[in-house]
Amino acid sequence: MITTTAFMIIMLVGVPIGLCLCIAGMVYIMASGNPLLFQSFPLQLFGGVDSYGLIAIPLFILIGEIMNGGGITRRIVDMAMAFVGQLRGGLAYVNILANMFVSSILGSATAQVAIMAQIMVPEMEKKGYDKTFAAGLTAYGGMLGPIIPPSVMFVVYSVLAQVSVSDMLIAGIVPGVVLTVMFCVVIALMGYVYNYPRAEPMTVRQRISTILGACPTLLIPIVIVGSILGGLANATESAAVGTVAAALIGRYWTKEFSFSRLPEMMLRAGIYSAVVLFLVAAAAVFSWVLIFGKVPQEAAAWIQSVAKDPVSFMLLVNVILLVIGTVIDGIPGLIMTVPILLPIATEVYGIDPRQFGVVVVVNLVLGLLSPPVGLCFFVAAAVTGAKPGKMFLVTLPFFGISCVLLVLLSLYPFLSLALLK
Amino acid sequence: QAREFRLGILTPNGHPWNKAALKVGDMLKAETNGRLSLTVFHSGQLGNEAAMLQQMQSGALDMGWIMAAELGSRVPAIAAITAPYVVDSTPKIAKLVRHPVAMKLFDVLPRETGTVGLAWGITGMRAIFSARDISSLADIRGMKLRINATPVYRDFYQALGAAPTPIPTPAVFDAMTNGQVDGLEADLEFSWNQRFDKVSKVILQMNAVFMPMIALVSGRVWQTVPAGDRELITKTVKTALDAQIDELALNEPKLIEQFRAAPITIRTANVADAQAVIQDFDKIWLPKAPVLADLRKAGASL
Amino acid sequence: MIDQAITSAPVIAPYRVITGASNRLLAVERLAIMGLMFLLTGLILVNVVTRYTGFPIYWIDESAVYSVVWLTFIGASAMTRLRLDFSVTMLTERLPPGPMKIAKVISTGAVVAFGLALAAMCWLWMDPVGIARAGFDAREFAGDSFNFLYTERTQTLNWPTWVLYLILPIFAVSMTIHGAANILEDLELVPKAALPGFRLSDIDAVN
Ligand code: NA
Ligand code: NA
Repeated sequence: MITTTAFMIIMLVGVPIGLCLCIAGMVYIMASGNPLLFQSFPLQLFGGVDSYGLIAIPLFILIGEIMNGGGITRRIVDMAMAFVGQLRGGLAYVNILANMFVSSILGSATAQVAIMAQIMVPEMEKKGYDKTFAAGLTAYGGMLGPIIPPSVMFVVYSVLAQVSVSDMLIAGIVPGVVLTVMFCVVIALMGYVYNYPRAEPMTVRQRISTILGACPTLLIPIVIVGSILGGLANATESAAVGTVAAALIGRYWTKEFSFSRLPEMMLRAGIYSAVVLFLVAAAAVFSWVLIFGKVPQEAAAWIQSVAKDPVSFMLLVNVILLVIGTVIDGIPGLIMTVPILLPIATEVYGIDPRQFGVVVVVNLVLGLLSPPVGLCFFVAAAVTGAKPGKMFLVTLPFFGISCVLLVLLSLYPFLSLALLK
Repeated sequence: QAREFRLGILTPNGHPWNKAALKVGDMLKAETNGRLSLTVFHSGQLGNEAAMLQQMQSGALDMGWIMAAELGSRVPAIAAITAPYVVDSTPKIAKLVRHPVAMKLFDVLPRETGTVGLAWGITGMRAIFSARDISSLADIRGMKLRINATPVYRDFYQALGAAPTPIPTPAVFDAMTNGQVDGLEADLEFSWNQRFDKVSKVILQMNAVFMPMIALVSGRVWQTVPAGDRELITKTVKTALDAQIDELALNEPKLIEQFRAAPITIRTANVADAQAVIQDFDKIWLPKAPVLADLRKAGASL
Repeated sequence: MIDQAITSAPVIAPYRVITGASNRLLAVERLAIMGLMFLLTGLILVNVVTRYTGFPIYWIDESAVYSVVWLTFIGASAMTRLRLDFSVTMLTERLPPGPMKIAKVISTGAVVAFGLALAAMCWLWMDPVGIARAGFDAREFAGDSFNFLYTERTQTLNWPTWVLYLILPIFAVSMTIHGAANILEDLELVPKAALPGFRLSDIDAVN
């Protein structure tokens, strides 16, 4: 109680979120009368980012920097434009489609938002979209990153739940595609309400030359996927291989990239990564303190006493995760909740651990898009200068449709399990 | 007076060790009419094993079930029990960890780690899952082999001529699928859960190494527990882990039957081929952990 | 005007020490961030090549992980000075200028307070006086204090772990210095520094 109050107050005063989590953790330690935990506090902060899976974040952000610096993302966007740009709200569709394409390269939502916001938002602003909407939409596009494989979050879940990694990744495909379609439906509806602009018409010849001009950029996902399938690299390392591919294509094909700009790109990628990683560390400390105080355990006991059947259990879990996700989302959210909720889900309610994983991951990804702590909005804000709070409000329909997806995933196991044997 | 203990463990809920830990809690509660209770924190919720040890050392965390790999990187004598060919079958592991020599390894724990050891828990013998067709220890030479990143294993597999390759656990299945490594080594139970048989051609049972864990109590906390309760806790932990050890040994044949039903070849390496490797290994490890000689003697006597 | 400048000069000097230290620190952090990013990318690429050619290097994964940890905290310190860290502004941005300034000083003050608290926690944990009193004998120190920090080594690099953990006290101190410099700016005791070398697109517009 004291912790919640302290957290709310310092947050509203404008204390940086990472520090709010750290300070709230310290308040909880003091209130719980276990001052020995202060001695472990620094090590837990360290341990929060001492994880191989997180290496992917700086590498994926760096790939994005190089793709942008070499004019590669631009060509991907142009290609999507040649396909769907003529529709009302064309650039909004382009945003989502390009995001879906990039999702098959990147495994982290925040990295993807950092990349796509740099390229999509100025473009959409130029064509008459509201900057806040453009940035918010790109943040939702980033949701596809950890749902469509590769995905750092599904990898972490499969470790926590002891289910096959490849099963989990495949389980994300259908929900990812469904979500893409749902986003397009929302854009169509909003497009009529707000009268979104169309892009300038293109001749067939222009379209063909745009698509052909963008073809070499397809080499990057090919190199990334190829380096994995060819046994050269794992999913994390493939990002490093991808940076080399992006640098070479940017230098020798598009000729927009020069190696002398590399240090500056490294600096930017490093800073963006630290912004995200420090929050991961802070959230890890905070959830450690809560777990030590058995807060999640008590919540689990309560759920069991309330939910009488699998469906009400799943819906209740969704509500609780959405609430938790306002503050603790992504990987730290998984670490905090899965060990407690999964045994109840499988043993008490007989839910398939893979379906449960899809629901939990999608929910905690949506947590990246809920205030006050919404990493995707924060990253989009950092890159574009739009305000995170406003971004959430103008994109509320996307939040709504994502909740609809969560309900569908909870009610219909086949959405998650269809592609699995 | 009433007391509640916290126990941290790295393995996920459902693992035999976790089941044993939960059983300890139930038994304590029943024996003391709820005066003593135990909360288990699964899946490294309180941090990795190094972090749990630090919390036990400061006295914040009461108990931790920590694997010999982590403890062995601090205490070479503990690492010695993970040395190759101390015993050559899972039933013998079950005997070894209850042998006085193994129990005596706990003596150094308070001074070297600030914790008190109560009992061992075990996993079965580790096997090699290979994407190539292999049938003997000699075939391991030149293999890119994913290993558990612990110094004993590195020295052992290097002595066998493999190129030890650390791959993070979540990436192992894919690394095998895509051929980043030619093989991996793991215990059979974990391998069945991860279905490594689906990405391998051959299972080579080496019957060389295993990875046990020790049920630890914080030294600081232990000093504050009344003698009668200490006895009760020790007895309870021993009972629960004895059952875990026996069950694991009993289950191994069933597990092998499961693998036999899958489309994969199971072979057994000839222990006689390993003499040179054992000598190479002991040249490195006997000076670090002289107790290894006693362990080998005890293992041979089982 | 001139009189004022002369009389206030001695008061300003200690402020200059803080902002000067903060800016020099930031210049070092800038190089460190670039260096760690190059190191990380290089390590991973070397790992890919050596493993593919059949000569995997055992300690690379661990090195890469620790590079990222250091990157996190050095970057977090730099972003404190650059004011890139995310905060909730929905309340503060609606305040009139006076209270807004107070809220700003409080939130920057929290940065300093946390920096100091973290430094204190690191002191408790690393106990520099204790280890010095034990004559830097890690074992003896551990025996007396139940603090085994200085006896631990990493799994594959086999480095002493306390060397890697040093980033936390460094982070605590540098965040305190950056926070103090920010407070001086918020109180308008010193002019806002331009902080050259950090052109991060429109990023400066945030917060
Ligand atoms: Na993805
Ligand atoms: Na959130």
